[in-house]
Amino acid sequence: MSALHQYAVLFGLTLGTVGFVICLYVLARAIGSTRREPGKDVPATAGSLSRDPVWVRYHAKYYGYALLFLAFDMEMAFMYPWAVVYREEGLTALLDMGVFLAILFLGLLYGWSQGALRRQE
Amino acid sequence: MTVLIVLVALAVGAYLVAVLESWAVHGRLEPARPAISALALLGRESLLARTPDRLFFEAGPVVLLVAGLLAVAVIPLAPGLIVTDLATGALFLNAALAYVLVALIMAGWGPNGAYAMIGGWRFLGQFVAYAMLIVMPITAVAMRAESLSTVDIVTSQSTLWNIAYQPLGFVLFVAAAMGLCWLPPLDLPTARGDLAGGIEAEYTGARLAVLRLARMVLIMALAGATVTFYLGGWLGPWLPAWAWSAIKILFVAGLMVSVGRLVPRVREAQYLEISWKLGIPLALANIFLVGVITLVVPI
Repeated sequence: MSALHQYAVLFGLTLGTVGFVICLYVLARAIGSTRREPGKDVPATAGSLSRDPVWVRYHAKYYGYALLFLAFDMEMAFMYPWAVVYREEGLTALLDMGVFLAILFLGLLYGWSQGALRRQE
Repeated sequence: MTVLIVLVALAVGAYLVAVLESWAVHGRLEPARPAISALALLGRESLLARTPDRLFFEAGPVVLLVAGLLAVAVIPLAPGLIVTDLATGALFLNAALAYVLVALIMAGWGPNGAYAMIGGWRFLGQFVAYAMLIVMPITAVAMRAESLSTVDIVTSQSTLWNIAYQPLGFVLFVAAAMGLCWLPPLDLPTARGDLAGGIEAEYTGARLAVLRLARMVLIMALAGATVTFYLGGWLGPWLPAWAWSAIKILFVAGLMVSVGRLVPRVREAQYLEISWKLGIPLALANIFLVGVITLVVPI
C-alpha cells in the first residue's frame, strides 16, 4: 500500500466516523425529539443560572510547567528522527543527544530552583 | 476488508471492557449493561444548554471519537491486520492523541457551563503533566526498533519484550496513558462528586452516548499502544497472533479501568508535580539507559 493510499484510508476513516455520528443523531431524533420547556437548558449549576460569566480569563496556575513544556515539546520533535538512526550512528548519536538533553535538563533544574514547578498563585 | 475486521474487533473489545468497567464500578457483572445504557441514552432527550458555542459543543465528542479511531488505525493486531502501516506510525499515534486535548477543551468550552469549563481547563493542566511521559518512553522504544513503524516495533521485540527491556518506560507510559484517558485516579476533567460530571455535565442523550463511546475507543487505543510498544504485540507461543493481541489488549484495558479505582484521586497540582519532578527525570534516564543498552547488547 503506497503512502498516499494509506492517508486516503485514514481520511476515509475520519469521514466515516463523522457519518456514523450523524446517523446516530438522526436515529435518536427519529425515536423522539426534545421538548422545549422553560428551565431545561440551564447549565448544571444547582438549577439557577450562573451568577458570573463562564467564558472568562482562567487563572492557569500551571503556567510555570506549561512554559517548560514548550521547551521539552520542541525537543521531542528532534528526538524522533534521532531515535530512528540511533543504532547506525552509535556512540556519536548518544553523545550528541546527551549534550543536548543535559542542557535541557539543566533548564528544568533551573526552572525548579526558581519555583516554576509549583502551583502559581 | 482489514478496516472492517479491525473496527468489528474494536467494537467487541470496547464492549467487553465496558462490561469490565461497570463490574469494577458497580460490583455486579452485568453483560447486557453497556447495550442497555447505550439504548437508554439514545432514547433520552439531547439537550442544548442556554447560549452555547454550538460548533464546539457539537464538535467535542466527534473530534474525540475521530482521534481515538485514528490512533487505533496504527495499532497492529496480527501480521497484516492493521488499518495503515505508516512508516511514521508511532509519531502518527502521538499526533492523533494530541487531539484528545482539543476535543476536551471544546467539550468544556462549548456548553457555557461553569463545571464543564473547569473540567476543560483542568484537562489542559493534566495534558501538560502526561504529554511528555507519553512521547519520551515511545522514543526509547523507537531507538531499539530503529523505526517508527508500529509493525517493526512489534517485530523488534521477538527476542525480549520491551517490558523486560525497559520496565521504567513501561511504568511511565501506562501511568501517562491513564492520565490521557482520564481514568481514576486521574479522572480530573470529569471528577465524579467534585465537578458534577465536569465535561460530561452538559451532555445528554445521543451526544453523551458518542462521548462515552469515544472514551471507550480511547481506552482501547491506549491499551493497544501499550501492548504494541511494551508487551510484544501479537507475539506469543501456541495461539494464533490475533488471539494473543486480543488477550493482551483486553488484559491491559481491564487493568487500566479497574485498578486505578483503588487509589484516591490525585489533584491536578500533585499530578503536575509528580510528573515533572519525578516522571521526566526518570523518562530521560530511561532514554539514556536504553541508549547504552542498545549500543552494548545487540538484541
